[in-house]
Amino acid sequence: MELKILIISMTSCSGCISTLFSLDIFPQFFEKTKIAYFPFITDEEKLDIYDIALIEGCITQESQIRLIQEVRRAAKKVYSLGSCAAFGGIINLSKKKEGEPLSNYIEVDGIIPGCPPPSSLFGNCLINLLENKMIKLSNKNQCYSCPLRDGLDYEYKTKITDLIPNNRDFNSTQNPKCFLTRGILCLGPVTREGCENKCIIRGMPCEGCLGSPSKSLYSNIYNFLSLLNLSDDLKTYKGIFYRYSKPLLIKR
Amino acid sequence: MQKIVEPCKRIENNGNIKILLKGTNIDHVEFELPEIRGFENILIKKKVHDIPRIASRICGLCHASQAIVSNKVIEDMYGITPPSQSIILRRILLIGELIKSHIMHYFFQSFPDLLKIINFYEISNPYELMQFDPQLTSSVFDLIKLGSEIDKIFGGRYVHLITCISGGVIYKPSQLNINLIRKLLQKGSSHAKYLIGNFIKLFSTKTPPISFDLPKINYLGLSNHGFYDRYKGKIVIKNYKNQLYFSEKDYQSYFNKDIGIFGVTFHQNNNIGLITGPIAREKINQISVIERIAPYFKTINENWNNSILFQNFLELIEVDHEIHQCLKLLNDDSLNKCYDLPDLGEIQKSEGIGVVEAPRGLLMHHYKIDQNESVIQAKLFIATEINIPLMNFMTLQYARNLYKKEAIDKVKKKIAQMIRAFDPCISCATH
Repeated sequence: MELKILIISMTSCSGCISTLFSLDIFPQFFEKTKIAYFPFITDEEKLDIYDIALIEGCITQESQIRLIQEVRRAAKKVYSLGSCAAFGGIINLSKKKEGEPLSNYIEVDGIIPGCPPPSSLFGNCLINLLENKMIKLSNKNQCYSCPLRDGLDYEYKTKITDLIPNNRDFNSTQNPKCFLTRGILCLGPVTREGCENKCIIRGMPCEGCLGSPSKSLYSNIYNFLSLLNLSDDLKTYKGIFYRYSKPLLIKR
Repeated sequence: MQKIVEPCKRIENNGNIKILLKGTNIDHVEFELPEIRGFENILIKKKVHDIPRIASRICGLCHASQAIVSNKVIEDMYGITPPSQSIILRRILLIGELIKSHIMHYFFQSFPDLLKIINFYEISNPYELMQFDPQLTSSVFDLIKLGSEIDKIFGGRYVHLITCISGGVIYKPSQLNINLIRKLLQKGSSHAKYLIGNFIKLFSTKTPPISFDLPKINYLGLSNHGFYDRYKGKIVIKNYKNQLYFSEKDYQSYFNKDIGIFGVTFHQNNNIGLITGPIAREKINQISVIERIAPYFKTINENWNNSILFQNFLELIEVDHEIHQCLKLLNDDSLNKCYDLPDLGEIQKSEGIGVVEAPRGLLMHHYKIDQNESVIQAKLFIATEINIPLMNFMTLQYARNLYKKEAIDKVKKKIAQMIRAFDPCISCATH
């Protein structure tokens, strides 16, 4: 029997839904399920009963709390799609706004993290959902699969002064080394793997969009910070250690 | 006064139709955005190098435009120009974004309306839509994939590209990838041709309803010496008798905005009389006269020319045109040469301005920074923000006329069709 699906957006950039349309599996996902409520492409006005709900975006308004509670009652399984829904997301860089993860208000059956969710991870999650299996995420960090990792031991001696590499680094023909040994902040050690190190492979450090591999983001970040030798400039720079997951840090 | 608020369906993200009824008349119609997310505030105190990664997150559909325009601002402040290879790559990334954005809007959001309005044919869900013409559906999925793959290969992922940085693009395309994209583009070209042919077959001889006709308006867009160019050019405001050309550096003489408050103010024209996006690009640069494209336009009943519904046809034309532009770019020698990205060096000036044409129209960022190279002011000029006053004006007139003979529920449904024809990008607009 085909699964009945609901897909909705809370406060978001629509990037997770945009990614959904780009996935190799999307046409099959469309055909094999019944996408019954998806305001992006359907006119459906009232909620019905659903097997799976995918919710993109964070919660910034009262009306959204009521809506996701309704969705929770209407759907057998509810998944947070993307880092805004799972961790609160980038809107929390604002001093004036707060975006909360769905889990602050409803029980979720799983998360599909990332900003946006990496295509392979997202595609595999959809396959699992179609087969009525749970979503499995790695509990290892980015360094575990990082192509720049050289040996197991980290020595955070280098002063971290930059957020991204200098353009000269991109012009270099030498094989790049771990960002942290080059004085560039990389959130890889405290970020879940699962994106095939896409940013790192392209020459950019990890920003942490897949969230923490362990349940305790706070102790993770705290330990990481205590190891780093940060420049004075970066010590006071806001939003780099919790760019996508500030509410989880505060909730502690 | 009775207030009716209802979510508008089949649009990007969430927006409401708000109607105020006074007695038996409609007093006010407004497309209501849920909130402003506050990116102009989020960018404050951020290091300039950190900005493009954050700016991309304004919109998951116009992400390449947002990141590229942000990098252009920074390059303006540092006084550097990206190497020609990077400029080609940026143009290609913008093309990938446009193909996907236009096709998603055309097929899933607007096409069912066209069938209903023009051919009185009802489609009630996406599955009926997909079965309407399986070849059309298959072409649509292939074109979405084409746009997606361009951005994934050249930009590192489908959405929120990794490779766009200040100074250029950190990607040197392999011949293998160039050949792969070339093949996809060639296939995409025949799909675009099919979609255009399908539009002509279904709608070209019919006349769109007069209610969808645009009033006398000004068109806002970029023009590179009279040619269609979404990466580089002068800003143009054109109407039926005049046109103004000016550099983005001089924009404040023509329009401005208050930070954190929705809306752009044009000094000479009222906002109701202004549109940006595919219609404006055509009126300003006339891709309709390009030899390969001109025959398509000759088949269309001229009553379409002034209709907001014409935007749908123009989206398909732009997809076709940009696929051919992309094939040319892939043959450019500069793409295969190895260029170093320029060192940013010392900051040259404390403010910068950048402009591109996003799929839905003119997109401009303006930042001011302090001596620590941190942003102290950010102004974001968004296409949908510019189009909404005209959209509200037209939907009000339309609703008033409809309400004379139809129930309010039908009025709501019909004005939603007009809103969708404008293709509002709510993520961008709620920046």
